[in-house]
Amino acid sequence: MGDPPRRAPPALSRNPLTDPRMTLACSPPTSTPVRRAGIRRSAGPAALACLLALGAGSAQARDLRMGLSAEPTSVDPHFHNLGPNNALRRHIFEGLIDNDPEMKLIPALALSWTARDDRTWEFKLRPDVRFSDGSPFTANDVIYTFCRVPLVENSPSSFATFVKPFTAVEAPDPLTVVIKTDRPLPLLPNNLTAIGLLSAKASGAPGAVTFAQGGCSGMGTPPKSTDFANPKVAVGTGPYALKEYVRGTQVVLTKNPAYWGRPATFDTVTMKPIPSTGPRVAALLAGDVDLIESPAIQDLPRIEGAGFSVAKGLSNRIIYIHLDQFDGPDWKTPTIRGADGKPLPANPLRDVRVREALSKAIDRKAIVERVMGGVAQAAGELLPFPLSGTTQGFPVVPYDPKAAKELLAQAGYPNGFEITLGTPNDRYVNDEKIAQVVAQMWTRIGVKTGIDAATASTFFTRRNAFAFSAYLAGWGADSGELSNSLNSLLLCFDPATGRGFTNRGRYCNREVDRLTIEAMGTFDAQKREALLRQASALAMQDYPLIPLHFEVSTWATAKGLRYRPRIDQYTLAMDVEVVK
Amino acid sequence: MSAAPAVAAEPVPKKPEPVWRAQGRAFFRAPGASLGLAVLVAVALAALFAPWIAPQNPYDLASLDVMDATLPPGGEGFSGAVYRLGTDAQGRDMLSAILYGLRVSLVVSLTATVVAASLGACLGVLSANAGGRLDAALMRLVDLQLSFPAILIALVLLAAFGRGIDKVIIALVAVQWAYYARAIRAQALVERRRDYMEAARALALPRASLLFRHLLPNCLAPVIVVATMQVAHAIALEATLSFLGVGVPVTEPSLGLLIKNGYDYLLSGKYWISTFPGLALVVVIVAINLVGDRLRDVLNPRLAA
Repeated sequence: MGDPPRRAPPALSRNPLTDPRMTLACSPPTSTPVRRAGIRRSAGPAALACLLALGAGSAQARDLRMGLSAEPTSVDPHFHNLGPNNALRRHIFEGLIDNDPEMKLIPALALSWTARDDRTWEFKLRPDVRFSDGSPFTANDVIYTFCRVPLVENSPSSFATFVKPFTAVEAPDPLTVVIKTDRPLPLLPNNLTAIGLLSAKASGAPGAVTFAQGGCSGMGTPPKSTDFANPKVAVGTGPYALKEYVRGTQVVLTKNPAYWGRPATFDTVTMKPIPSTGPRVAALLAGDVDLIESPAIQDLPRIEGAGFSVAKGLSNRIIYIHLDQFDGPDWKTPTIRGADGKPLPANPLRDVRVREALSKAIDRKAIVERVMGGVAQAAGELLPFPLSGTTQGFPVVPYDPKAAKELLAQAGYPNGFEITLGTPNDRYVNDEKIAQVVAQMWTRIGVKTGIDAATASTFFTRRNAFAFSAYLAGWGADSGELSNSLNSLLLCFDPATGRGFTNRGRYCNREVDRLTIEAMGTFDAQKREALLRQASALAMQDYPLIPLHFEVSTWATAKGLRYRPRIDQYTLAMDVEVVK
Repeated sequence: MSAAPAVAAEPVPKKPEPVWRAQGRAFFRAPGASLGLAVLVAVALAALFAPWIAPQNPYDLASLDVMDATLPPGGEGFSGAVYRLGTDAQGRDMLSAILYGLRVSLVVSLTATVVAASLGACLGVLSANAGGRLDAALMRLVDLQLSFPAILIALVLLAAFGRGIDKVIIALVAVQWAYYARAIRAQALVERRRDYMEAARALALPRASLLFRHLLPNCLAPVIVVATMQVAHAIALEATLSFLGVGVPVTEPSLGLLIKNGYDYLLSGKYWISTFPGLALVVVIVAINLVGDRLRDVLNPRLAA
């Protein structure tokens, strides 16, 4: 692996650091008085200096304030595998390997990685890297991190699965790490992009750490997740360092002057959680923040009309409907009834014709155009092309209500049946609205559909308890390749191996399992992708779930700033460019 | 002295005018209250006959078309239908949705008020008559209940029960019975010392008859006043709960839920989704309050002076 310039900004021709006219705080205030008030409030006495600087042309502080749709639940990089946490983590703690905005692997703290055999990976570390507290980064910090990941207490969604297959982690020299695994793991580099590296010293382990499965030695007392709110504990090698974390209020980051890569663009970055869409857009329009993530789609014309810029990028998140296909002696699918309101003898969703009918009843074009305002892309399989394992031009199920009715009749439901569709109402873009439109379309082919909408935490608890016969949800493939989606959504549900753990429709096709599992153990990238394409095509023939669309992520920025869209939907200060 | 001529000479003594008729006349002397009552009757009729006058059944998902979503007032849909007040994000005709939403709002608030008033009245009369420990216990419960904000109690209950019209009614009853109990008890404490109650007691009437045939009917005036005000309160509370997303189901929106649906579109200039249901809500609540205010004046002789 080579060493391309870190996060090279292709579009940026001028170095913003040398051009004071491009600074944010001094960009001429837009005409509204609110905006001016906002600057005064945030910059305080600096406002005057700023005005002077505009004339004098000298450099001064450059700040970025970001309005986030969801708040990180902790600064601890290993506490919660959740979008906002992972985004915050990337500012402070780097991984061995990173993803670029297109989710390709790029070297971060590892310069190169090679599979020595099918169970041994060797990583060459980047030399002369220092943590934000000045101490050097070595292989010992890597070992410490892999030891610490499974020790996090009360993790709502743990990173431990990524390090569980490690049988040994060794450091032949301070800049080499060798990882041995209990099975072939061709996707290990993809998995490692998820793990941010800690400083062993700042975490209270000054000596050498030795890896051992089931308990490392030399760990000292690992910090608790809450300890990471302290900037002395939250020490990483990233372009920014933690200054302040106040739950529910804001996270403040400062530039890490010792950063090894391209210096951070901003001196401070403030992240404010503004969960409601309306107030978030209002905060941007009023100048209280400089950038917001996921503005309401219906507000985009207004935002652009007011002179702000909007960035859009296809995401790795599919919105889909899972259909309960389970049947057993003590299982009755929970929210389906016959057209007469009486229980049905069998679960109709087990019949592939019924699933096909429900899929064909949905006008995806109408959803994309009318509900999503064109900011989405109709989906045929689980990830959009060109991510690894996807197929160019994978067919989208066509809208054909007539065929759908015929299929229902053939399956023995000429009068349809009644079903309740579960949906979260605050998790995905327009989730509840999409569910209602699907209910309209299903009702029109005779499947009388009710909606059971709930806030995300309630919804997911009930979803995991199999409380819905059909539910709308989304899945973002963090690794950016198809085996992640297949493994989570379509492999046979098996709590023991963790396969199909989000497959709450319990679709099961052994051939799809075989192909996917083989792909996950294949090192040859082309061969792996071919296997995944085959598995995906085979699975989608069974209508195992109903793909609706891929979300298109949106960001809106103030004048003078531009956001470079990321497939993984993260909002990173590193991807904010200053433009004229 | 012969009785016949006297009867013939004197006019038959007029039956005294019933109290309610005098009160009715007093009520209509206020033009605001008359207007309020007229609006209220009109709204009630519109809600009652919504299935016949609404252009669309907004609760029948098959009759909605998402291709007609967020059309402005007067907009024409794909099928040629004209939407006088526009459509919401689901392609629901706003006029129909408001008529049906009024139905939900009125049914929920009236049912909740009747149940809460009956419950509160019974407990209030019992409390006043029993006195002592039962009275103290009940009134402390009322104090406790009134010291919590109504919306908070209702939110907690609905979070526990889940969505649904029946559950909203239960939550409203739970937060409103205390007002009635308090009002009735105060009146009953006065009434039970009146002569007619003494007489009833002297006749050794059974206790139930004493309480519910003699005492309760004479305490109803304040209940009527409280109830009128509380109907308006219940409508607002139901709208708030639905706005917060814990009220009625999303496929059968009430006024509050319609306002919430439109709230997402306010910034983008699609004013009609929130504004029209909001206006309908304001008109209903103002009308009820006008009527309630006047009723209080008419039924309370002390205020008349």
